[in-house]
Amino acid sequence: MIKITDLEKFYRTEEVETIALNKLTIDVKKGEFVAIMGPSGCGKSTLLNILGMLDDPDGGSYVFNGVEVAHFNERKRADLRKHNIGFVFQSFNLIDELTVFENVELPLIYTGVPSSERVKRVEEVLDKMQIMHRRNHYPQQLSGGQQQRVAIARAVVNKPKLILADEPTGNLDSSNGNDVMELLTDLNEHGTTIIMVTHSEHDARYSHRIIRLLDGQTVMENIMI
Amino acid sequence: MIRNFIKTAFRSLTKNKAYSFLNIFGLAIGIACAALIFLWVEDEVNYDSVNVKKERLYISRINEKFDVQVLTHSSTPGVMGPAMKEELPGIANTCRVSDGGTSLLFSRGDKSVFASGKYAEASIFSMFTLPFVQGNARSAFLQVHSLVITEKTARKFFGNEKNVIGQSIRVDNKQDYFVTGVIKDIPENTTLQFEWLMPFQIYFDQSPWLKSWGNMSLLTYVELKPGVNPATVNQQLYNYIQKREPKSIAHVFLFGMKDWHLYNEFKDGKMTGGGQIEYVHLFSVIAWIILLIACINFMNLATARSEKRAREVGVRKVLGAGKRSLIAQFIGEAIFMSLISAAVAVFIVATVLPAFNTLVQKQLIIGFGNPYHILALLLITLACGLIAGSYPSFYLSSFNPVSVLKGMKLKDSWAAIIRKGLVVLQFTASVVLIISTVIVYQQIQHVKNRRLGFNKDNLIEMDLQGKMAESYRPIKQDLLNTGLVENVALADHAIIYGGNNTSSLSWDGKPVGSKILISQRYVTPEFMETSGLKILEGRNLTVTDTGTPYRMIITQSMAKLMGKGSAIGKRVHGDGDTTSATVVGVVNDYVYGNMYGKPDPVMFFSSAPKNTTVMYVRIKPTNNTEKVLAAIQGVMKKDNPAYPFDYRFVDDQFNQMFLSEMLVSKLSRVFAALAIVISCLGLFGLAAYTAERRTKEIGIRKVLGASVSSVTTLLSKDFLQLVILSCVVAFPIAYWLMFNWLKSYQYHIDIQWWVFAVAGIAAVIIALATISFQSIRTAIANPVKSLRSE
Repeated sequence: MIKITDLEKFYRTEEVETIALNKLTIDVKKGEFVAIMGPSGCGKSTLLNILGMLDDPDGGSYVFNGVEVAHFNERKRADLRKHNIGFVFQSFNLIDELTVFENVELPLIYTGVPSSERVKRVEEVLDKMQIMHRRNHYPQQLSGGQQQRVAIARAVVNKPKLILADEPTGNLDSSNGNDVMELLTDLNEHGTTIIMVTHSEHDARYSHRIIRLLDGQTVMENIMI
Repeated sequence: MIRNFIKTAFRSLTKNKAYSFLNIFGLAIGIACAALIFLWVEDEVNYDSVNVKKERLYISRINEKFDVQVLTHSSTPGVMGPAMKEELPGIANTCRVSDGGTSLLFSRGDKSVFASGKYAEASIFSMFTLPFVQGNARSAFLQVHSLVITEKTARKFFGNEKNVIGQSIRVDNKQDYFVTGVIKDIPENTTLQFEWLMPFQIYFDQSPWLKSWGNMSLLTYVELKPGVNPATVNQQLYNYIQKREPKSIAHVFLFGMKDWHLYNEFKDGKMTGGGQIEYVHLFSVIAWIILLIACINFMNLATARSEKRAREVGVRKVLGAGKRSLIAQFIGEAIFMSLISAAVAVFIVATVLPAFNTLVQKQLIIGFGNPYHILALLLITLACGLIAGSYPSFYLSSFNPVSVLKGMKLKDSWAAIIRKGLVVLQFTASVVLIISTVIVYQQIQHVKNRRLGFNKDNLIEMDLQGKMAESYRPIKQDLLNTGLVENVALADHAIIYGGNNTSSLSWDGKPVGSKILISQRYVTPEFMETSGLKILEGRNLTVTDTGTPYRMIITQSMAKLMGKGSAIGKRVHGDGDTTSATVVGVVNDYVYGNMYGKPDPVMFFSSAPKNTTVMYVRIKPTNNTEKVLAAIQGVMKKDNPAYPFDYRFVDDQFNQMFLSEMLVSKLSRVFAALAIVISCLGLFGLAAYTAERRTKEIGIRKVLGASVSSVTTLLSKDFLQLVILSCVVAFPIAYWLMFNWLKSYQYHIDIQWWVFAVAGIAAVIIALATISFQSIRTAIANPVKSLRSE
């Protein structure tokens, strides 16, 4: 599903050039659950952003579903992204001015799903995430765990092929964190490919494979049994 | 999607109440100001539009070339109208109308009121749009003593009586006139204004001079046939008077009704393209500037608090929103905000319109059902939304989702520079308005305080009515006996307006072919002392000077024209006749007609009371004007009982001559103040934002020992620099604008440097007061709190 080869990314300031990804090569197959680990500044989030087509690589190749996307323009990337990829963030990133229902509905609006179909699908996913009773609440009225459930609901409502999760339990206590990991595992078991950046060895154990990065390169891969 | 945008916009509005208030209120004031100005502009532009035949109606104008100038006026020979209609095929109709307003005493029962009106030919009813409420145009002027009145005049005499046709009104205590028609009240934005109309024939029969082609004293309106080019008719008119009066220097041309109000400025016999239209342009520009200032507030506040919106932009982008859809969202939000502001603006306009009407002396109304007004408001609103939303939407939609979702501080450098640029633009406009306001005010005061040559204060003017001329001596004696009056005199023309004038004069030493326009006035000998003119040489006029040989007093400028040495004893001859007049005295020059112009030469002749039209009463300086007026009224009631006491103060008339300038002065004061208020609202918002953004920095500085004053200075310094920069930009612009404006006045002030200093200091003080509230509040906050909040 994902094949990146010799991927490079640099950050430049006036005086310093930092290498975030250094000729990185990774393959992720459809239906896999991959955890990416490594110390701060090793390039995990940069990789996730490039995989999510939020950022451009400076070199190398990125093939998504058989299509080379490394040099897509912003519009094409946005189009590919909204139909194929869901995001889950550490800090949830819900829009404060929208209710739970409206936050989850948002990706469907951008993909042009008709209103009646939207209601059906949002209710379905809220039900699945057990957050239906909070549908008319605003994000700031929810606990962290509930907010992350909403964020996951929003990530999956469009039935994406790939979910990218950036430390999804980072802002949660262990109990809520476990719940979130169970939800992701469940989604993966139903066929969604998941790539998750995490600092937590505990969370990483939910994945099929751990890729460890250092200085923008793969230093080790662990296959989980 | 739109519903989602509106929801977000509305919730964002209600969540950030202070920010929303600043934005909406600022924009609402801007839109309200613009709406008021555009209402005024609409009224000006639609002047005379009540007339269906506006495009085909003209007034005959005359150009007369004198030595120093070409005089353009509307006084035409009394016999010209019918001749034109008969001889020129392009002319459909003409109408002769008496010049100015004739004030007559109308009496019915115990009601006696002065009413101002005109003598006109019956064609006035077909040429001008004057709808009849009672009676009809066809039969209105069939009888000689017919009277057509406006609804308002009818109400004065007949109350709400339904049919007043055939009712009589006694005019001037002499003759009964019968009402033959009542016409709808004339809109205020119409040139032709009157309370009554009477058949022209009455006036024509009373005025023998109207039969001469050499005398020019009434107005001739012309209606062209459809499709006729006025230029063709003008060619035929150029030497039209010369065919009958070969020596005349008067050349006729047609001046279209569509230009009467807005383009009524002539130089060298041609339209300059100036006139009231300049004020229309000026205020339209001011309206757009105020709107722009309000839009800038919006832009600045929107980009300043972009950090708060950044995460939303990031999330939307991650979820698939394209740049275009985000731009549409933010412009949509601006338009939404602009719509709310427009609703508030309509409320503001409705509230202040009566006061505005008093200010501009109009009866403007908001047309809630007028599609043009609604469309104009929508267009202004849309324009504001687009202008205000344009830059923020491009700025906000350009955020990189990766950076904003990571919570990285936004690189604000470009946005900050643009924001500062916009603040400079706002304050530049405000400072230019402040300076212009001060200079316009100074110029008006300069002219109002001009030494006119006569004393306009404590001088009362009355039209001679009934037995006032006949009983002049006893009236004068009775007035003096009150002890409140210093002197009384009679004249044939009001002192501050132009009177009769002629260029057909010669004297020894006058260059051959030279044409100089000289005003001639007929007065009683007390006139000089009563008006405050000083005899510089020779003697005053006496009662015996009324007959031949004529003796006269001239003004200094006339004496100068007559050559070196004393003018006493020099003689002036009428061209083409044997009459002559000898100079017996010289008085100082005085300003009349155009208060900005130089004093033109005048000749004064002694006149018998019966040949005069106005009485002047010089009252002793007093704090109790009412008592003086009551005393004068008592005398008039006794000596001229058939007429009500009607008077005016000369200094009021003088003030009337500055209506346009006073209007500009008042409006520029109001709009300059509002421009500053709107700018300050924006500055207040920006200061609040800066204070909020720098909370942590201030906290650290305070922990490290910074004092309240040093923190306040730190926060205020940047804004003050911007205001000072605005002054630097504004000064040359204001100087250039005002220099050009003043150039159009012959008698004007010099621009003084201190005006700029005062405007600059005022702008700095106002800005400082606006910012200091936020700065001090932040500076005195407990640093522990601000650091903990990080």
